[in-house]
Amino acid sequence: MTELTDKNKRTRFVPGQPDMWAFVLFETLVFTAYFGFYLFYRAKSPELFLHGQAQLDLRIGVLNTLVLLLSSWSVARCVQSARVGAYRAALRDGYLTAFLGLAFMVSKVLEWARQIRMGNGFGSSDFFTYYFFLTGIHFVHLVIGFVVLGVLVYQLRSAARRSQELVETCATYWHTVDFLWVLIFALLYVVR
Amino acid sequence: MIDIKFNKRLLVVWLVLSALTLAYLWIDHSVDGGGSLRGSAVVTSSVIVIASIKVRIIFREFMEVRQAPVLLCRLTDAWVVLIAVSLLACYFVGVALR
Repeated sequence: MTELTDKNKRTRFVPGQPDMWAFVLFETLVFTAYFGFYLFYRAKSPELFLHGQAQLDLRIGVLNTLVLLLSSWSVARCVQSARVGAYRAALRDGYLTAFLGLAFMVSKVLEWARQIRMGNGFGSSDFFTYYFFLTGIHFVHLVIGFVVLGVLVYQLRSAARRSQELVETCATYWHTVDFLWVLIFALLYVVR
Repeated sequence: MIDIKFNKRLLVVWLVLSALTLAYLWIDHSVDGGGSLRGSAVVTSSVIVIASIKVRIIFREFMEVRQAPVLLCRLTDAWVVLIAVSLLACYFVGVALR
């Protein structure tokens, strides 16, 4: 039994640097506060928010989410490949993650442009103020995500630089960008 | 060159997350009778719960918390509960103050 517990202890590990986990949990709290304000005001004046929400296309939101979930899957595969030394496969998945992130980004910019053309700017209604604020701040995290993916690819490209801990740290950040979007998508597009 | 076996578990995780995402389309469709959006506390609560389940799956499977020390498992679980409870509380307080 003790032997089993010891083995269990050895094989269990924190993925990446613990500092990144502290950052992830902190960021999640900050976003939860934003979401809380949004839901509170939304519940207080439902008609106003429903009218704004009706201008969004849920199908685009679903597609965006599926693309970002694909990118998360891809970076998860990248971590597993790097762990067993399959660096070619890891690098390929790293590039694929960046490509999917870029597809999400382009789609987001097109959606913003479409809303602005329809007259739904940042100050047009409370709903769109929250919409642009939440998607905008997520976009900033996504841009930082590209720097992080750059570090990941840079690490994987040379045998001298490879560090599994850093690869896991980068992946942890990317997954955070993904699950924050999962929450933002649910709150902006689907909540009533 | 080292090759890696295709990990079916990650594929299943992605499929489950995608199915939960597509479930929103069904929820959205079933709540609107005549095309215009209607407010619904049931929809809001279900959507927040589904989103929280998705976040927990991402934590455990994609972020490998499943294999992490128990402390991180408990901490991330507590976070998911904290998010869900805070969001539901903010929504229902807003409804009560309407």
